[in-house]
Amino acid sequence: MSEINLENVEVAFDTPAGTVVAVSGVTQRVPAQGFVSLVGPSGCGKSTLLSVIAGLTKATGGQVQVGGKVVNGPDRGIGVVFQEDSTLPWRTVLDNVRFALQVAGVDKEGQLERARWAIELVGLKGFADAYPSMLSGGMRQRVALARTLALEPGVVLMDEPFAALDQQTRIFLGAEVRSIWQRSAQTVLFVTHDISEAILLSEQVWVMSYRPGQIIDVIDVDLPAERDPSIVSSHAFNELHNRIWTSLQEESMRGFRQQEGAA
Amino acid sequence: MRTAAMAHQSKEPVTVPETTPTGTAAAAPAMSPRRRRRLGDATFSGIATTILVALLAVLCEIGPRAGWWGEEVLPSTSSIVASAADLLGQPQFWGDAARTSLEIGLSIVFGSVLGLLLGLVFWKLPTVGRIFEPYLVSFYAVPMVLFYPLAIVVVGINASSVVILATIMATIPVALNTTVGLNGIRPVYLKLARSLQCSPRQLLTSIALPAAAPFIVAGLRLGVVYALIGSIAMEFVTAQAGLGYRIRYLYEIFDNQTMFAYIFVVLVVSMILTALLVAVEKLLVKGRTQ
Repeated sequence: MSEINLENVEVAFDTPAGTVVAVSGVTQRVPAQGFVSLVGPSGCGKSTLLSVIAGLTKATGGQVQVGGKVVNGPDRGIGVVFQEDSTLPWRTVLDNVRFALQVAGVDKEGQLERARWAIELVGLKGFADAYPSMLSGGMRQRVALARTLALEPGVVLMDEPFAALDQQTRIFLGAEVRSIWQRSAQTVLFVTHDISEAILLSEQVWVMSYRPGQIIDVIDVDLPAERDPSIVSSHAFNELHNRIWTSLQEESMRGFRQQEGAA
Repeated sequence: MRTAAMAHQSKEPVTVPETTPTGTAAAAPAMSPRRRRRLGDATFSGIATTILVALLAVLCEIGPRAGWWGEEVLPSTSSIVASAADLLGQPQFWGDAARTSLEIGLSIVFGSVLGLLLGLVFWKLPTVGRIFEPYLVSFYAVPMVLFYPLAIVVVGINASSVVILATIMATIPVALNTTVGLNGIRPVYLKLARSLQCSPRQLLTSIALPAAAPFIVAGLRLGVVYALIGSIAMEFVTAQAGLGYRIRYLYEIFDNQTMFAYIFVVLVVSMILTALLVAVEKLLVKGRTQ
């Protein structure tokens, strides 16, 4: 199965203002079929780290292994759901989902079958022939999710996929992502800045510091597997929330001050 | 700038980078009334155009008859239509029409292909784009007719010189719009293409061209119009055949009646071409935000 192994990963960018170290010395492991959330202040390098695992950004140091293989570039076994709306407006929902399969060289029958399966999985049955412009933002993210899941990747990376959605929609979609994950054998790494979302969805939460982005805390989420949103009022949830919030607060303030100092 | 203005003509917000998707639930129900109103708009403009054209025709019919202006200034509608119908039986008319159609057709094809290729080159090689795009933009302001003598020296007085200049005129808007459209592709589409491991060909045909389509189509529309204007205008200046040449010739021998018949035919042809373009545009950008 596909576990994600990060070994001393470092990403540095050259900018006109000098070298910026976005990710520094990250050594972590997402177990096969695990669900890990990555939280951190904005601009801390969460998305950069995800991008490195996806093979979209080159690490300047260290190594990423997915399922025992070193990541050197994009791989169809690693699915990505982006933060921005990535549905193609000139294709229907069905054709959007099929696109991934077409590119992967799946035959037409297989494309239709797997696309329909993925569309049903994300709860969009009945919208296969709709164009994205006719759908809400939440439904479009479902389309993007279906497109990723249609390839049945061993690893799914989600980069704040619900950041642009309203609170109710994101809680609802989060629950669905979790239930899809529970029924699959996938390994999920979920980037978010929402602590509650991170706790609700995952088995483990990583807290990332402001630049240079390092994992400063790893918290196991010891909550029952079946979680409904009412769990947020439980004592266990609040303790987890407090602990993550405490580590995060310092970092957010540090990042805030640094950004203000730079401005 | 000209390119920006053209870009807006496409009425397509699709290619405008939009980092945050718009309101969730609100988008879907808002769709249907807007769509109904748009359909109404199309019907409305259709009816309005018909009424306007009919009114104009009636006015032009009454004008010379009532003595508001002389027949030699603008003949009555009925006589223009009658002589235009007459033209349809003359081999000379068909000869001119065939030559002009060929010139326009070739300029459209060459202009579109060349414009698309240039746009792709400017997109793929930004340095080349930065060097040459300003020249292309300023080329807009150059009256191409001035190069007619040069074209004649190079290829002689024939259809080729018309096609060459009309092609240049048609190429520019296609190239500029294609460049604007391709440079405006939302970065997330390119990220998606990379993560799905699209081949360069898949990236071009499945992502880049469709994403830039609203702009490319707007450019093609302008290209077609420029090919039409270019061909007729070049013929008008110096040519030995073609509708433009015939109109100038008839004007020089004071045959107003036939001249207006030719002008009428050219007007009808350009209207048909425009209507065709709208249909093609609708087909190419179907299903988008609207």
